[in-house]
Amino acid sequence: MELIEKERRRLLQSAARAFGLSGVLIAGICLSLPGVVDPDILPSVIIVLAGQAGALVMVGRSGHIAWVVLTVVLGCGALALAQLPWGLASSLALPTALAPLGAAGIGAVGFVLSDNSGRWLLWGAGTLASCLLVASAGPAGAAFSTPAIGTLAGWVITLIIGLWVTVGVQRALRRIEAIGRAHHLERQASETEAQRRQGARLLHDTVLATLTLLAHSGVGVNEEALREQAGEDARLLRQLRLGSTPMPRFSGVYSLEPVAETPLGTTLESVKQRFLRMGLTVRWHGTGQVLLPSDVLDAFLLALAECLENVRRHAGVDEADVTITQSDEALRAVVTDAGVGFDPTDVDPERLGFTESVVARLRDVGGSARVFSTPGAGTTVVLEVPR
Amino acid sequence: MSPRYSPPEESTLGGLVRPAGARSSVRRGSPTSTHASALGSGFLGIGIAIVAALQSMLGIALFLLRADDYPSLLPALAAWLLLMVTFLGLTITISATGERLPDWLYGLFLSSLGAVVWLDFVAIAPLGDIGRYATSSVSAGFVLLVVVTLRSRWEVLLASCLLGTAFIVAILLTTPLTPVTIPAQIVTVALAVGPGITGVLLVSGFERMLKRELDRVLIQSTVTAPRLAVGMLASEELAQLDLAAEELLEAVASGDAALPLPPRLASRASGLATDLRLHLIEGRRETWLVHAVTESEHLGRRVTVTDPATLAGLLDDVQRDALLAALWLLATDPTGVSPTRAIAVELGPLDPSRGSGVAEQLIVPITMRVTGLRRNRVDPGVWEALDQVGRYSDSTTGGGVLIELDCLVENPVDAPRPS
Repeated sequence: MELIEKERRRLLQSAARAFGLSGVLIAGICLSLPGVVDPDILPSVIIVLAGQAGALVMVGRSGHIAWVVLTVVLGCGALALAQLPWGLASSLALPTALAPLGAAGIGAVGFVLSDNSGRWLLWGAGTLASCLLVASAGPAGAAFSTPAIGTLAGWVITLIIGLWVTVGVQRALRRIEAIGRAHHLERQASETEAQRRQGARLLHDTVLATLTLLAHSGVGVNEEALREQAGEDARLLRQLRLGSTPMPRFSGVYSLEPVAETPLGTTLESVKQRFLRMGLTVRWHGTGQVLLPSDVLDAFLLALAECLENVRRHAGVDEADVTITQSDEALRAVVTDAGVGFDPTDVDPERLGFTESVVARLRDVGGSARVFSTPGAGTTVVLEVPR
Repeated sequence: MSPRYSPPEESTLGGLVRPAGARSSVRRGSPTSTHASALGSGFLGIGIAIVAALQSMLGIALFLLRADDYPSLLPALAAWLLLMVTFLGLTITISATGERLPDWLYGLFLSSLGAVVWLDFVAIAPLGDIGRYATSSVSAGFVLLVVVTLRSRWEVLLASCLLGTAFIVAILLTTPLTPVTIPAQIVTVALAVGPGITGVLLVSGFERMLKRELDRVLIQSTVTAPRLAVGMLASEELAQLDLAAEELLEAVASGDAALPLPPRLASRASGLATDLRLHLIEGRRETWLVHAVTESEHLGRRVTVTDPATLAGLLDDVQRDALLAALWLLATDPTGVSPTRAIAVELGPLDPSRGSGVAEQLIVPITMRVTGLRRNRVDPGVWEALDQVGRYSDSTTGGGVLIELDCLVENPVDAPRPS
């Protein structure tokens, strides 16, 4: 609220500055014409006008009321000075030349005088003073002259515009706030939906595994098994799209209830089944039922599956060992293969595969992953998650 | 079996889903697309109409005062009548048709204003002083203001310029220029042209201000976002990838796609897998601050955020709000004199040697490098806002300001782990 308030003031201030400066400029040109003002007085009038222009520049820059007062005082001073010497018949053009100064050059401050009652008083005083001074330039005794009325109109119009902009901003703000609230809800809904989809990690893991197989044209995998797996994955994606959060528990048999705590044994089964289908024989060691929060379990299973996928694709062997052990604090899986191995220092640390899919997700849940490997001597990966 | 499944053109995916790792190219519906009157310019239009009406009444009074001077009253009367009819007709049409002005109506409006000016000039030409006697033609310049919220700026400016030119031509043709008559001529031309220019400037300033406020309110919703959030578009993009994967898998399952898969489909599967993998991890890496800067038209142009450790997410609501406000003010350049204004915000790295004294709290260092801004031109509101973010110190560097902040936040290790 404060920001828009500041911007509103700034807009009105710069409007006052632009409007006022053009008024001063026009008045300056008109007064400089020969015969309009006494040639002896003209330089002082111009100097006062220049001072008023400076005050107007400051009105545009700072919100301080003193600059407004200075503008009015200097402006009225210029109005009075231009009529010297008093009482002598002045040029017919003088009132007309002073009108732009009264109406725009000084009246411009009306833009910034609609805020509070103190400013209204200043507006009233300024209006009265400049109208009277413009009127006094006219034919003697005529309080009513066109330039004076024009001056009054200038003050009234700038005040109306200032008021109108203020009220208009308030009205628009109410509407903008309503839009903001709607947008806030939309963002929350979008966040929830994204979390639901991202939360379906086990599902996406099997989808990604199948897509990876397909990326290699499905070569080396039993055709029937691949079609079956693809069908299952498509079915789960459809369920996700239709609003439920499917959780693959066994291959072929899926539970649709989201579970807060999932026994490890049953979900591990889906990983086992998947690699069995893909032709990697995994020997599993270690038993026991471990209950894990679902996000930790997801990360653990994903990391495990990713390691096995790496064995299948890169190790050059078709069997691997997984040993699962548990302590009071942590659950640990050791994935070992006797394949070609590699030099961990050679792997580009920025390479997405392992770092992102395994390390990052384990770290998300407070776990860790370590890789031990030597070319020709197989690979061992230790995955650890907190219980 | 012939392969019946054909993937959508690659460009569809590339067009709809941002390339992996890239920032979203599609901003949230940009504020410029909002119809102006929806934000209150319509209300501004009513105020302008009131001003025009006031001025016209003044003009009529002036005309009646001098009615005796006119050699023939008829053209001047006709000009005033036509102006009133145009003004009222236009006001009624606009309020009836919902603040829209079709081209043909604008054309009609301009030509009747032209007729008003012409009739007025015909009436006063024999008097030999356009500046002194012009009434309805001056009011035409004010009535022109009524369309300022409905037509584009240059159309109104052009009309104003045409009016000014008409006045200058008429003055040169009919009025002897002496020091006595010149002031009235100058004032009158300024009165004819001034309203259009002032109106256009004021209305465009008003609209710019409200659009910016809308932009600010929209990104304000990031303040309450979780530590790491997805952007507004992330879920939609993920949904599209899921759908594409579903279709591909369905095709494989039903046998529509031959196995082994043809290279084209295989590369599509590989691309989908990569995109999906990236989207599953990517959205979680971005903090509210990155989303706010990316989504905002105002901040997006000038602010860059470096936050490898996603520390911005640790800030609480009050700190976020204040940081956003400070950035907003720093990015605001009311005079538009500095096209090189740029703000680089850097969060971290955490310095473990600098304890906060309280075990549950961390100090997040934030550095803001503002270029193209002098220290004494910084809005005082910036310092007020930064006070709420944390302890700050500022220094002047070559051509810019360097602000260093120490932000006290709750240590996420002690906070309950988000599930």
